Amino acid sequence: MSEEKENNAIPFFPDHVALEAKVALGFAVLLVIVGIIGLFLPVGLQEPADPMETPLHTKPEWYFLFLYQLLKFIPKTIGATAPVVAILILSIWPFIDRKPDKDPRAVRIRLIISIALVLIIIGLTIWGEVT
Amino acid sequence: MNTISRRILLFTLTLLIILCSAAVVHAVTAEIPPSTGVATLPETSSPALPEPNKDTCFHCHVSGSFTNLWTPFARWIVFGAAGVVFLFGFTRSASVWRSKSEWIPIPQRVMAWIDERYNIYDVLEPILSKPVPEWQRHWWYCLGGLTFFFFCVQGLTGIMLAFYYKPTPDAAYASIQMIENEVLFGSAIRMVHHWSANGMIVLAFAHMIRVFVMGAYKPPRELNWVSGVVLLTATLAFGFTGYLLPWDQRAFWATTVGTEIAGSLPVIGDLALVFLRAGWNVTGLTLSRFYALHVLILPLVTVASMGLHFLMIRRQGLKEPL
Repeated sequence: MSEEKENNAIPFFPDHVALEAKVALGFAVLLVIVGIIGLFLPVGLQEPADPMETPLHTKPEWYFLFLYQLLKFIPKTIGATAPVVAILILSIWPFIDRKPDKDPRAVRIRLIISIALVLIIIGLTIWGEVT
Repeated sequence: MNTISRRILLFTLTLLIILCSAAVVHAVTAEIPPSTGVATLPETSSPALPEPNKDTCFHCHVSGSFTNLWTPFARWIVFGAAGVVFLFGFTRSASVWRSKSEWIPIPQRVMAWIDERYNIYDVLEPILSKPVPEWQRHWWYCLGGLTFFFFCVQGLTGIMLAFYYKPTPDAAYASIQMIENEVLFGSAIRMVHHWSANGMIVLAFAHMIRVFVMGAYKPPRELNWVSGVVLLTATLAFGFTGYLLPWDQRAFWATTVGTEIAGSLPVIGDLALVFLRAGWNVTGLTLSRFYALHVLILPLVTVASMGLHFLMIRRQGLKEPL
């Protein structure tokens, strides 16, 4: 790191903490606004649970929707195993990819991989939402 | 100003503050007139007059034209705050005036008092004075901290909801209805809990992508990544278990389908299904189990992993980008 950039350092306390507190305060204001909206448009409830009556459309929350959409095209066993395997691979990933980065190309490759994955997930989520 | 006149002035001020305190104590402890529930206005026989304003207001509590459970508290807040401000100003002026030295701010005095006894300054100093270089002040280094902020909001609003929520199949739905319609600010709290949960998941994913792209998971930060994966899984589990709690049709059938998918896992499928549902079907036992996971086990796991996560990054520092 160059000398010039190091010179721009600020103390952690109170300067940097104050900076972070301002960001948190901004999000707190956002949540208060969400709460005020909630006073007039509550989250709401559907009909009470009835095990005898299956509704026509059941959808999970949006963050599970891409897995649900994926299940429509692949066998159920593989679809159920995939997220478990994905979590396991994620957990041991730092022990697989352990070479320290030497040039910025590695960062760019990982950026492209993550953008592609995010786009696939967003695409599947939207697809699951509209069907 | 000589010493004698200074003493006389101090004595007069002391007398004044004692008198003022007596007046404040009298004002707040004075007998409260019997409450009628609404503002008591003189009866009028004329039907042409508009309805008296029955709205409760803060100054009505103070003046005593409206009294209820909050009245003594409201009075203490108003008069007490005034008294505290007055006392502080008086102490400060008197102290500066007497000692002719600079006023030491109260937080500084408290810190000095604690440090005298526990010597915490030596421990805190290296942590607090650590410089933060410019590259660490980019917005993407905020994502993890913001996830933690949203978790704190979730904890706070979750505790508020738990005061009124009843985790049984007969009462769960009605208790949510009660939170939405009867509890003061109940629908606002539920709304914040709902949206802050979504925000937490988005931010946790964004934080993970940032760490992945920058290669910050590489040695020596492997265990930090592992604890992060535990936290992400816990966050998703929070979402899954919390979704059942309202016990409406959507909640019931989303859980039925979700646990059914877990049931189609090879080898441990049936085990997973029975473990998640506490039986072969989604029943009141499932609700109890999800509630216990949502309010006891997952928060404990998350707080423990978060503690490790923060400790490790504190020891190692952020990874410098190339």
